[in-house]
Amino acid sequence: MLKALTDRFGLPVSVTILLLLWFWLIVLVILPQLIMIDYSFRPNLLPAQMGGPEDGYTIGNYQTLANNDIHRTIFFKTIWSSILVTFLTLVVCYPVAYFLAQLASTRQAMLIALLLVIPYWINEILRTFAWYLILAFQGPLNAVLLGLGFIDRPIRFLSGDSGVLIGMVYAYLLFMVFPLYNALESLDPNQVRAARNLGAGTIRTHWRIIIPHAKPGIATGCIMTFMLAAGSYAVPALLGSPGSRWFTQIIYNWFFEGGDWHMGAAYAFVLLILCIGFIALVMKVFKIGLGDIGR
Amino acid sequence: MDSRVQLQQLSMSFGDFTAVHPLDLDIRSGEFFSFLGPSGCGKTTLLNIISGFLTPTSGTVTIGGEPMASVPANKRPTSMIFQNLALFPLMTVAENIEFGLEVRGISKPERRKVSDRLLELVDLTGSGDKRIDDLSGGQKQRVAIARALAVEPRVLLLDEPLSALDLKLRQHMRSELKEIQRRTEITFIYITHDQGEALTMSDRVAVMSAGRLQQVDEPMTLYQNPATPFVAEFVGENNRIAGEVVGNDNGRVQIKHPSLGVLEGISTEAMAPGTACSLYVRPERLRLVGEDASPVNRLQARLDVVNFEGAFLMLESSIEGLSDPLKIQTEHSTMPASLTKDHPVSLVFDPADALVMPESAAEGGGHAQGLD
Repeated sequence: MLKALTDRFGLPVSVTILLLLWFWLIVLVILPQLIMIDYSFRPNLLPAQMGGPEDGYTIGNYQTLANNDIHRTIFFKTIWSSILVTFLTLVVCYPVAYFLAQLASTRQAMLIALLLVIPYWINEILRTFAWYLILAFQGPLNAVLLGLGFIDRPIRFLSGDSGVLIGMVYAYLLFMVFPLYNALESLDPNQVRAARNLGAGTIRTHWRIIIPHAKPGIATGCIMTFMLAAGSYAVPALLGSPGSRWFTQIIYNWFFEGGDWHMGAAYAFVLLILCIGFIALVMKVFKIGLGDIGR
Repeated sequence: MDSRVQLQQLSMSFGDFTAVHPLDLDIRSGEFFSFLGPSGCGKTTLLNIISGFLTPTSGTVTIGGEPMASVPANKRPTSMIFQNLALFPLMTVAENIEFGLEVRGISKPERRKVSDRLLELVDLTGSGDKRIDDLSGGQKQRVAIARALAVEPRVLLLDEPLSALDLKLRQHMRSELKEIQRRTEITFIYITHDQGEALTMSDRVAVMSAGRLQQVDEPMTLYQNPATPFVAEFVGENNRIAGEVVGNDNGRVQIKHPSLGVLEGISTEAMAPGTACSLYVRPERLRLVGEDASPVNRLQARLDVVNFEGAFLMLESSIEGLSDPLKIQTEHSTMPASLTKDHPVSLVFDPADALVMPESAAEGGGHAQGLD
C-alpha cells in the first residue's frame, strides 16, 4: 500500500498524506473520544476538590441516567422515534429512488435529482425553520387542508412528535435516496420483466426481486438515517415541544447549561454505544458487511 | 391445447419511426417458428408485443383464439427466455424454476415436484439447491428453459437465447431445444439473426427486414425459392449479378450484363424486356470447368482466394465488370491441384439453378436500420 502510494506521488507527498491522515484519526477523532470516556467515569468536582479523596473513577454518572426516569424515557423514546424516522424515510424514498433509477427518462431523472438537491444548498437550520412556518397552527399547510375540507379545525403539528418526525424525514431524505438509487440502478430491467413474464404482479415483483436486490442500499440508507436522526439536535430543538424532547437536547443541557461535562460525556457515550449496536444489528439482519456500506 | 398465435394487421411505431409495418401472420399450434432478420428488423419488437411488454400501435394479437389486447403481460399464457436469461441471482436454481408457481399460490411440496421433474427434463437432476452463479453458461441456459416451462405456457418466446454460448454448446443446445419442443408440444417462437439456428430448428421461418415480413416459409423453401432479393442475399451465401431482361419465355429468362454478355436463369415472374433485374446463383451451383465446356452461362474469372472451410473449399474469384467477387463452393476432390491464386478459371452454372428477380421485387428490401 505504502509502495503504491510512493510510486504514484513520491515519498514526500505520501508521507505528508499519511501523517495528516494519522493526525486526523488520532488527534481529532480517537483521542477526544478517549478523553470523553475518561471524563464520563469521573465525578464533577469543584476545583478545590480535585486531587482530593473524591477524585477517582466512578460509574455514578451512568447510574444517574439509569435512575432518572425522565432521562431514561427520553433516551428510549429517542431510539424509538429514530427507528420510526428511518422507517418513514425509507417508505418515502423507495418509490422516488425506484422511479429515478428504473423508470425515469434521463431528463426526468436530472430534473428530479436537481429538485431533491437544491433545497440542500440552504443551511439545515433555515430549512427546518421553513418547516416551522409550514407546520404552524395558522400556517399554509393547515390553511390548505382546511380549504380542501380534509379537516374542520387546524392541527397542532408542532406540539407533539409529528413536527419532529416530518422535519427529520425531510432533513435526511437524500441520505436515503442516494444509497437506494445506487442499489436500484444496478438492477437489470430484464429481472423485472422476467418476474412479470412469470406472472408476478407489482407488489410481488418488488418484494421478491427488487427489494432483495436493493438490500445493501436499504441497509446503508437506514444506518445513515438512523445515526443522523438519533444524533440530531437542530430539528427537535426547532420543531419539537417540551413533550417531544430528544436525548441530544439532554446531553446539550448537561454540557452547556448544567456545566457538567462528566455527566454529558456519560450520556453521549451511551448514545454512541447504542448507535454502534444498532448498526451491528442492521448489518446482521440484512446480512451485509462493512464493505457494502462503503459503496 | 390450442396454442395458435395470430397477428392481425399488427404494427408498431415509436414516434416517427415505424419498427413494424402492418403485418398478418398465423403461427400454428405446436410449431417451432422463427423470426430471422438482421438487428433492427423489428423481430424483438414483435416478441415484446406478443409477450405483452409492448402495446402495438395497431392490430391484434390472438393466442389460442383469445384476443390478448386486454390481457396484461403477467396474465398471458406466454413465457419468455431472455437474451441474457435474466435468472434471479439471489435465488437458488429450484427457487428460480418455482417462482412462477409460487406466484400462482401453489404449495411448496407441489412446487418441488414440478422443479424436480423439470430439472430432470433439462438434465440437471440434483442441482436444485445450487446458486445461479455456480452454474456454467450451458447450465444457466437450461435453468432458464426449465423456469419458462414451469408455468406451463402455451407459447414459449425465445429471444436469441443461444447467442452468448460458444459454438459447440450452441449446436448442442439447438438439438436440445428442438427435442424439448417436440416433447412438450408447446408453440416455440424463436428470434434470431443467426440463419443457421433458424434453418436447423424451425418448422417455418419468417424472414424480416426493416419492419416487414419478406417471406414466411419452410427452411428448405426459403433457401431454394427465395421470394425477394433480400431473402436471396440474407439466407445462405449467394452470388448476385445485376443486369437487364432481354428475353423471356416460359419461365426462362435471358438477362444481359454489360460486360458478361447474356446469361440465362429462371423466374417465377413475368418481366418485360428492359426490366432491371438480378440473377442469383448459389456458390455450390457454380462449377469449375475446362475451356471446352458449353458456352451457356460460362464465365471467365481469375482465382483470388482459396478458403479452407473443413468439409469444403470456398473460392473467391473476380471478374472484370463485377464489383463483388464470385464465391464458389467446391469439394477438395474436384479441385485441380494446379489451380492456385491468380489462375484464370472457367465457371458455368445450370440455368435451372439461377434465379432472376426484378430489382424492386419487394418493398422495403435491403438492410434495415433503427431499433431492434
